[in-house]
Amino acid sequence: MSSDVILVLVVGTALAFDFTNGFHDTANVVATSISTGAARPQVAIAIASLLNFVGAFISISVAATVANDVVDAGVITPTIVFAGLIGAIAWNLVTWYLGLPSSSSHALIGGVVGSAVAAAGFQVIIAEGLVGKVLIPALIAPVVAFVAAGASIGLAYRVVGKQRPGIVSRGFKYGQVVSGGMLALAHGTNDAQKTMGVITLALIANGSLAAGSNPPVWVIASSAAAIALGTYSGGWRIIKTTGTRIIKMDAAQGFTSQGAGAAVILTSTHFGFPLSTTHVINGGVMGAGAAKRLSAVRWGVAGNIVFAWVLTLPAAALIGAATYGVTSLFGNGAVGPVVVSVLALVAIGAAFVRRAQRGAPVPVQSG
Amino acid sequence: MSAVASFAEIVATKEMVQTVVFSLIAGIGVTLIFSVAIWGAARFVDLSQEERPLAAGIAALAAAIALLAVLAAIVVGVVVMTSK
Repeated sequence: MSSDVILVLVVGTALAFDFTNGFHDTANVVATSISTGAARPQVAIAIASLLNFVGAFISISVAATVANDVVDAGVITPTIVFAGLIGAIAWNLVTWYLGLPSSSSHALIGGVVGSAVAAAGFQVIIAEGLVGKVLIPALIAPVVAFVAAGASIGLAYRVVGKQRPGIVSRGFKYGQVVSGGMLALAHGTNDAQKTMGVITLALIANGSLAAGSNPPVWVIASSAAAIALGTYSGGWRIIKTTGTRIIKMDAAQGFTSQGAGAAVILTSTHFGFPLSTTHVINGGVMGAGAAKRLSAVRWGVAGNIVFAWVLTLPAAALIGAATYGVTSLFGNGAVGPVVVSVLALVAIGAAFVRRAQRGAPVPVQSG
Repeated sequence: MSAVASFAEIVATKEMVQTVVFSLIAGIGVTLIFSVAIWGAARFVDLSQEERPLAAGIAALAAAIALLAVLAAIVVGVVVMTSK
């Protein structure tokens, strides 16, 4: 009975995390389409939501990695997964409050690793999976997107450079409808799967699924719905601030950055690599900008992203470990997770109220 | 040497290399082919205005083939994604 209560808490928390992931990432997915005028905000957001939903259904490789290849599922309990989720949410909340860029995906994996280590020691970590399938791809993928977008925009300018700007711009704007759609699809398939993986891990830990199982259909469908709803909800907030927050770029740059980002995320997803999708998208945007003019890139933002990248995994791991420690004070039952959930809700409410009083930051939370 | 071998084993080198290569091919290739489609469309308009129907037709054909190639690449990409 008590493990079922914890499982319900884990599923609810994971879906809430998935919703906020979509909410935060809407801007990254639709920004270039809106800023180049390729799509009206309402249309871009509606399409992005729909394709995020569809994307969640087209692969389960990343979910399998998160569920089976990062920590030893055999020693995981639902409480460990719960503590990891709280660690990820807490770190996202801290970085949102401070206006620091951070990756929701890295926070999620860091939180789960931290709570698992606190509960069962370092031997619970599957080094091959954590290093080979999470850390190294996370480092390489944004660089590949940067190079692909930079090379692409260089070639595109060479091919169409002498043609009439009006036709070229219109052509790339039409292309952006497709490249933006592919990016939304890629985002949905990689990011929603992380939530699926965590819920699957909790189900395995609870004995509801056998070790090595794939996510059940209800997990896939609920994760898809949560990220799509988050994307749609986040979009309306973005519409209000589009004019001031989105970097101006031409349609060709928008097309190449979206195309490079989608290519990297979809390929990585195929091999089961859970990425920070926004780091990849930012890599593509910076590559397209740098190829045209180095000073067009906001290198300060790039530096902040790298700083946050380094900090996120260990910080979320520490909070996940601490959360597990707090839940353990109340024994092995559901009391600990319930108390932590109430405390977390109070902390989130307080942070929102305080932030609203001080004025909202411009966070660069990422997937 | 064994440390390097162990690291290569951990990093899943084959999958990483494939990811990098396929990402670059897909990202750069699709943009290049789509640029050819736009080039063809732009040339078609210009050559039609210059009343050079044969050249305009060839430009339009190049644009159409390039566009079909882009669509095919996207379809293949999604099929490959769903096949695993």
